[in-house]
Amino acid sequence: MSESLFATTALDERNRKVERLYRRVFLTMTLLLILPVFLILTVLISRGASAWSLSFLFTSPENGMTAGGVFPALLGTIFLVAAALLFSVPLGIAAAIYLSEYASDNWLTRLINLAIINLAGVPSIVHALFGVGAFVLFFRFGTSILAASLTLAIMTLPVVIVSTRESLQAVPRAFREASWSMGATRWQTIRHIVLPNAVSGILTGVILEVSRTAGETAPIMFTGAAFFLPFLPQSVYDQTMALSLHLFVISTQVPGVPEDLPYGVALLLIAIVLAMNSLSIAFRMYLRSHKKW
Amino acid sequence: MSEFQDNERDREQDPDVRNRILPEHRPLASDFEMERPIAIETKRLSLWYGNFQALFEVDLRVQQGLVTALIGPSGCGKSTLLRSINRINERLSYVRTGGVVEVLGKNVYDADVELTQLRRRVGMVFQRPNPLPISIRENVLFAFDLHEAGHDGASSTSKDDLVESVLKQVLLWNSVRDRLHANATQLSLEEQQKLCIARLLPLKPSVLLMDEPCSALDPEGTEAVEELIWRLRSEYTILMVTHNMAQARRASDETAFMLNGKLVEHTRTDRMFVTPEHQETADYIEGRFG
Repeated sequence: MSESLFATTALDERNRKVERLYRRVFLTMTLLLILPVFLILTVLISRGASAWSLSFLFTSPENGMTAGGVFPALLGTIFLVAAALLFSVPLGIAAAIYLSEYASDNWLTRLINLAIINLAGVPSIVHALFGVGAFVLFFRFGTSILAASLTLAIMTLPVVIVSTRESLQAVPRAFREASWSMGATRWQTIRHIVLPNAVSGILTGVILEVSRTAGETAPIMFTGAAFFLPFLPQSVYDQTMALSLHLFVISTQVPGVPEDLPYGVALLLIAIVLAMNSLSIAFRMYLRSHKKW
Repeated sequence: MSEFQDNERDREQDPDVRNRILPEHRPLASDFEMERPIAIETKRLSLWYGNFQALFEVDLRVQQGLVTALIGPSGCGKSTLLRSINRINERLSYVRTGGVVEVLGKNVYDADVELTQLRRRVGMVFQRPNPLPISIRENVLFAFDLHEAGHDGASSTSKDDLVESVLKQVLLWNSVRDRLHANATQLSLEEQQKLCIARLLPLKPSVLLMDEPCSALDPEGTEAVEELIWRLRSEYTILMVTHNMAQARRASDETAFMLNGKLVEHTRTDRMFVTPEHQETADYIEGRFG
């Protein structure tokens, strides 16, 4: 009887079946995950693409927002996001540098870290009410681009801090030690060694934040975004239209809107987000290929 | 030209290295009979990580211009001792130090010691080669630029000369002369470690601390770096932690043996490995514990 030494046993057969089963379960879950994204995109493109045209992008809404374009809302979203990042990026990067490079591990640092995590978990409607209380009323900015973008900035801050801190900490410790041991100060080390190597991660985080911020509705609807404005904002103390709120308004508040218009706006919003994300991925790939260790 | 030939050429430049005098055979008289000044002296140096005491009143005297090897089992405090000499331990907030560490007669824990100046005079080479992720040339000039920035910036030709001369000193020039702008992390580990030594030299340090400088290298790299260390002695005082007893034996003038945070024995290397005074030293050297 010359059974092979390595022949399959009954147990092996069973293990193989179980293996196959689990593989299929996980694959199905993954596919289910992609399905909604795919469906959303198909629906939006098939129903909304017909609304797109040059005048859709570059003219104002007309006839009680049942016709015309979305130019003021598009511009408003760009303003709001840009202004929000203007506040949150320098502040967030500075805080992340402090936490990652200077702070020692004591109760205060741990408290700050805890606060940041909690801040990231605050619902956006709560940020909105905070924005009303703090910026609109207390600082008397009124409902304005300034108040809305500050509210957005507070909301994006924890994410900027966390992603920046992670990028900083991904820079190997050995580089810092090498630099310190040659008599470089903390700042010289950060400036010459840490930041140049962390910048790709930091920028990727920021770009991803842009796409998230662009879609936020709640934080801006009480603080600075208007349903409809017949003119473009002249200063940061003016209100502005925004794509996300515009979508909400024409889908729920205005009668007689042609069916393809809201889909068109939604498609535009998604397109901005996807464009930003692809930019961030392309950027990351570019910088990774130039990474030096 | 192959890398191997490049290395050969580097060695040929220096007849001393070609006929390297092995420690066992070197003339001892000139090395030891003259009284050498003390470069590093620790007096009752104790160190705690939180509640854990890592060093117990260590008194170590390292003579100027020699290679002194620090040996001992893992966790005996040899790296800790090394790291308290350039005070790189300190960034850990839970480290406390007691006692005195004098470098060239000055207690480095005095209040008037500027850390950046201390580290400029006391260079450090790490276990794992850690060139900065910038070009070879920038690595050599990194610390130099930081420290010379206040004075007239050296002209770029004089910097070229500086880069060439320190890379020659570490026997690296011929293999990297054509790729000075290549990233330093692309070098082989041996070349990286040589570069890590080279980048200290423009600062004209008096002491070089080396924390197991060869443990990440293959046997050939180890030999090359040992050779380099041997070449640099006399011009620099070198204190080297090593796990490798053969290395301590080959490449050091004096050896200090540490155990459980205490200095057990410190004497001439040839004496230590032949007639150690303490039983623990003998046991460790013979590999009865590690």
